[in-house]
Amino acid sequence: MSVIRLLLREIQHRQLSFVLGVVTIVAAVALFVAILTMCDASQRETIRLMRNLGFNVLILPKGTNMADFWSEDFAEQEMPEEYVYRLAESDTISIRHLVARLQKKIRWRDRHVLLTGILPEVHMEQLPSKAPMGVAIPRGSVYVGFELAQSLSIGVGDTIELGDKPFVVGKCLGEKGSKDDIRIYGHLHDVQEVLNRPGRINEIEALSCQCEGKRLPQIRADIARALPGTQVTEYKSIAVARAEQRRMVESYAAFIIPVVVLVSAIWIGLLTLGNVRQRRVEIGILRAMGVGSGRIAALFLGKAVLIGVLGAALGFVLGTALAIRFGPQVFPLTANKITPMFNLLSWTVIGAPLLCALASYLPTLVAVSQDPAAVLREE
Amino acid sequence: MIELENVSKVYQGANGEVRALDDVSLSVEKGKFVAVRGPSGCGKSTLLLTVGAMVRPTEGRVLLDGEDVYGMSVSQRARLRAGKIGFVFQMFHLVPYLDALENVLVPTLAGARGGRPEALELLERLQLSHRLHHRPAELSTGERQRCALARALLNRPEIILADEPTGNLDPDNAAQVMQYLGNFHREGGTMLLVSHDPLADQYAQRVLRLDQGRVQ
Repeated sequence: MSVIRLLLREIQHRQLSFVLGVVTIVAAVALFVAILTMCDASQRETIRLMRNLGFNVLILPKGTNMADFWSEDFAEQEMPEEYVYRLAESDTISIRHLVARLQKKIRWRDRHVLLTGILPEVHMEQLPSKAPMGVAIPRGSVYVGFELAQSLSIGVGDTIELGDKPFVVGKCLGEKGSKDDIRIYGHLHDVQEVLNRPGRINEIEALSCQCEGKRLPQIRADIARALPGTQVTEYKSIAVARAEQRRMVESYAAFIIPVVVLVSAIWIGLLTLGNVRQRRVEIGILRAMGVGSGRIAALFLGKAVLIGVLGAALGFVLGTALAIRFGPQVFPLTANKITPMFNLLSWTVIGAPLLCALASYLPTLVAVSQDPAAVLREE
Repeated sequence: MIELENVSKVYQGANGEVRALDDVSLSVEKGKFVAVRGPSGCGKSTLLLTVGAMVRPTEGRVLLDGEDVYGMSVSQRARLRAGKIGFVFQMFHLVPYLDALENVLVPTLAGARGGRPEALELLERLQLSHRLHHRPAELSTGERQRCALARALLNRPEIILADEPTGNLDPDNAAQVMQYLGNFHREGGTMLLVSHDPLADQYAQRVLRLDQGRVQ
């Protein structure tokens, strides 16, 4: 008779307790592996998104008072529309999306309205074309902001007049809760005609500025070289939001994994304690026969280690399968990079049995320190 | 040779002290069959466990072959039990998930003498050859006690300490178990038996009466 044989026989006899232990570790390890595999994918995805996002910069006429700009949402100064085409032809800067705009505040139907003319996106010639990020408003058509449409009872298909020119309402926009609700959007050239500002714009939005290794001062210098008479500012909010989102995912994983580990450890400890209680007489009789504390401890710690090894192996397979099955839906851009992280297998195969052994340590101490005579006398 | 010198054992109970053994002195020579009788709660089981190196007395000394049992370390006492002593209990205390043969082999975990051939031989002698691979739940009470007896005999002990070994058995099985214990004694073993069973008196060379922890 060996400790291993006794251990295996006991497992065979009390299968439920063993299965519960293994299931606990399988669940914990699967969650651990799935989260880490997905976190890895999440990081790659965020990096990709950040890379695609690049810098989002706003090019404004030189001399724009930024305080006024941020309060009014448009620049008083103007610059030639030709700038946007010049930028598109630039070979020093790569910008995925260039959107030229002319915006002015006007009085229309006894209220202040932000009239915004948008030129359909201009793509840089040397870059592959990508789906447009902005809107492309057809000529002769306008989109009306929520507040205006509501208060003036304007509906899709209505004809409205702007500077004596008729326009068909192509869309009534949803509520944004910002100045967009009092905007009327039109094609840049239509708005230029309405405002009598032909060939003029007052901002260029450059999205996804691909400036490898370059920071904002360098981009400013490049743009200033291409477009003298402009100034550049960066939209930071989107990039910051991405970084915060990534940090949030990481901190979520950093919170959830220790909780899962702790709960599993407590559960394994309780299962072992239950097992010790169940086997009091058996321990007593083994002690009566002269079986030492080391072998008694080996019976419980060995079982815990076995639960850990089996749970880790099965949990790794399950966690990896879950990540591979569902990961691509969550992270479509880097789906093909979601692959088994085999380095986690060695961590879990070492970590899970260690965790189980530690969790079973106190119950094992209870087992070896119980007075066999007291148990046998009671019986 | 078993010797007890002024042995007392006091338990701290919820309602105060319980004196299970009170200044007990006795000696059992090698190869003797001694029965201990007495009412329930008189300290019989404590006496047996004290002799069996399982319960440290509050006072006094227990000597086995001249060696002070409780002067030994815990592991030395464990080795002593594994090498010299066999226990038989009223409730058998077989390991429920092992079959009869495996139960008999359990003492080998403690490094006891004897192995599978000896276990098979013992089970045959105790008429359990047909039950080798039956678990305790599949054995009758008599078979369980014979299995427990085989387990106690595997390490070829010098002493068997038996606590009410026939207490749960019908007369036929009780007689059979007593016969096996008698055989052990006839082969030179020392027998210390705690029992209410009058049958024990037929085998015992000496009967001790214990009352309120004292040998009468």
